[in-house]
Amino acid sequence: MTHPGLPETWLWIVLLAMLIAVLQVYIRQPGTSHLGGFIPVEKIPVVGRIAVLFSRSPWPLIIFKFISVSLFLMVIAAGLFGTPIAERNLATTLTWTIWWSGLIVTVFFLGSAWCAVCPWDTIASWLVKHRLWKRADASSSLGLRMPKMWRNIWPALIMFVGLTWLELGVGVTTSPYATAILALVMVVLATSYMAVFEGKPFCKHVCPVGRTVGFYSQLSMVELRPRQSEICADCKTLACYHGTKEIEPCPTHLVMGTLIQSTYCTSCSACTMSCPDQNIGWRVRSPASEAIQHARPHWDEAWFMLGLLGLTTFHGITMMEFWEKGLSSFAQIIGDSGQLIWSFSLGMAIVFILPVLLYAVLIKLTQSLILESISFKKLFSTLAFISLPLAFVYHIAHNLNHLIRESRGFTGVLLNPLGRDALPYSSSELHMRHMNPLISEQLLYALQAGLMIFGFWLALQILQRRTLDVLTHQTSLRRHFMLPGMVFIISITLFNLWLLAQPMTMRM
Amino acid sequence: MTLSFLSVSALQAHHVLGRPSYSLGEDSNTPPSMQVETQIGNYYVTYMAFPAFPKANEQGRVNIYASRIDNGVPFDGEVTFKVRNDSWFASKEEVLGVQKIDDNVYRQGFVFKNDGNFIITAEFESDGEPYQIDFPLRIGEPSSMGPIGITVGVLILVLISVNVLQRKRRFQLKARREHRA
Repeated sequence: MTHPGLPETWLWIVLLAMLIAVLQVYIRQPGTSHLGGFIPVEKIPVVGRIAVLFSRSPWPLIIFKFISVSLFLMVIAAGLFGTPIAERNLATTLTWTIWWSGLIVTVFFLGSAWCAVCPWDTIASWLVKHRLWKRADASSSLGLRMPKMWRNIWPALIMFVGLTWLELGVGVTTSPYATAILALVMVVLATSYMAVFEGKPFCKHVCPVGRTVGFYSQLSMVELRPRQSEICADCKTLACYHGTKEIEPCPTHLVMGTLIQSTYCTSCSACTMSCPDQNIGWRVRSPASEAIQHARPHWDEAWFMLGLLGLTTFHGITMMEFWEKGLSSFAQIIGDSGQLIWSFSLGMAIVFILPVLLYAVLIKLTQSLILESISFKKLFSTLAFISLPLAFVYHIAHNLNHLIRESRGFTGVLLNPLGRDALPYSSSELHMRHMNPLISEQLLYALQAGLMIFGFWLALQILQRRTLDVLTHQTSLRRHFMLPGMVFIISITLFNLWLLAQPMTMRM
Repeated sequence: MTLSFLSVSALQAHHVLGRPSYSLGEDSNTPPSMQVETQIGNYYVTYMAFPAFPKANEQGRVNIYASRIDNGVPFDGEVTFKVRNDSWFASKEEVLGVQKIDDNVYRQGFVFKNDGNFIITAEFESDGEPYQIDFPLRIGEPSSMGPIGITVGVLILVLISVNVLQRKRRFQLKARREHRA
């Protein structure tokens, strides 16, 4: 059974908006975009009070951690002891339909809040530090410094590629047992890293979910920052970095006074609680101000962002009818059989590499257009931020389909998490689920189209600003410098839009 | 029978080749079945097990439906069904039976005496080429304590190792201090 794709009317609306956005970039004087100010979350009614509660006391977070760990343990129990029928088991439905699909949506509104209650890290912390929240004895972990050559996010990229391969190639999403095993492996990894190294290097360098959330949180509408930069400038204690007697130091070694990007913030609240001046708090900002302007370019991070783009598009491709047919023909050519893992892996590698290759060629072209000498690596890293909104909006638009059309019936799974004596969906149940999405189809289409426009517009803003950033003062930004970047943004958006317009196979 | 196979496939969600999926037949009074779709050489092969969750000492059946990828023509010949234990050290394989086509399907009945994970192998020959496909079959409830035991074991090992190393470090530090004093 397939979900219908985005109707033609919406496609035309998106295309028209894309045209307007391109014209706007061409007409407007480069570098004149205004990123807006900030609103402290405390000033927002109701939400502000909740935010203050989370910033000042550890207990609200601890309660959420308990809930998250309880659900996680239920996922493991359901996966190992429950029914193998994916749509009737809590392990697969909660993990892949609700959490994995919904997580990306929450990043826009809550940044990296998920990391604060992540059960992998919570269980690891409890096991290694033997504390609910207070600062642990230094001897609880070996506290080794992460070797310099490992202080990057290549492991996270490899893990993300691996997770996608397991998810779509091996079919972990349709196997409760495999889902539970994966969960256990992540706990072992998180615990081992925490036991050996100082801080939370697993979260910072290895966790594919944490890094995905981290990069996407550059596009979030909220950020954790100092309220007054002067207080941080005069700070003598650096309690956010060093911690206090009771509060842990920042687990990813961030100094709040100089923080300009949220990529590695795990929203753990250590800084908000340790700051003697209570100078750290959440604030609402212009979405993507970070990706447009503040975030610093790095070679490994650029690859991760491009990886995100390639793999989110790949997710969409594997749920198309043509993918299965193509895979089958390819398998016949190379003599692959059974689960067609070789064919799948090669297909995945090609889809992963193609956008990177296109990007690299266009960067080379940009390099030749810009009249001054800028290294390929610098240009590649700096302009890679354009891929972030493209990946993010398609990721959400795609996930909305799963979330809105496939999460019906989840209450039944909650009531019978192990799926004892449950039968697979009958054709009428499948039909009913298919015909009754959580929100109206038109609203879903409007959201998807809006997201695609937003991502496209954002990518153009990033391109303009980042191209300006790589130039020295001697060279002024000429519009044709941005042409290759625009070609990349337009090609990816058009392809993702086309994917959204195709009927998509149900996950479970 | 062929039609019922096709209708079941059409209802399936995003299936992964070679991985089991579960579905009800059109007649929802029948027990659910487990099916695996796969591809080998020139054939698409669908394997179904009835019931989906067979138990020891209860009758069950596996069906195989093989059709050519290029023109959809069902394979017409003989299929040999074999079974072996799905464990690393199991080598003993038993022939369950040799079946001829019946309404485009090859059916093989079975009764297992014990619970466990088994591999059903279907073998046939087409255009002079031998075909051999393995499918999973689980009898009874799986043993799920293994993964938990391994996880707990690894965690305990890591935590104890860290503890021992820390103690060693502390003793060394203490010894160094005493030596200096």
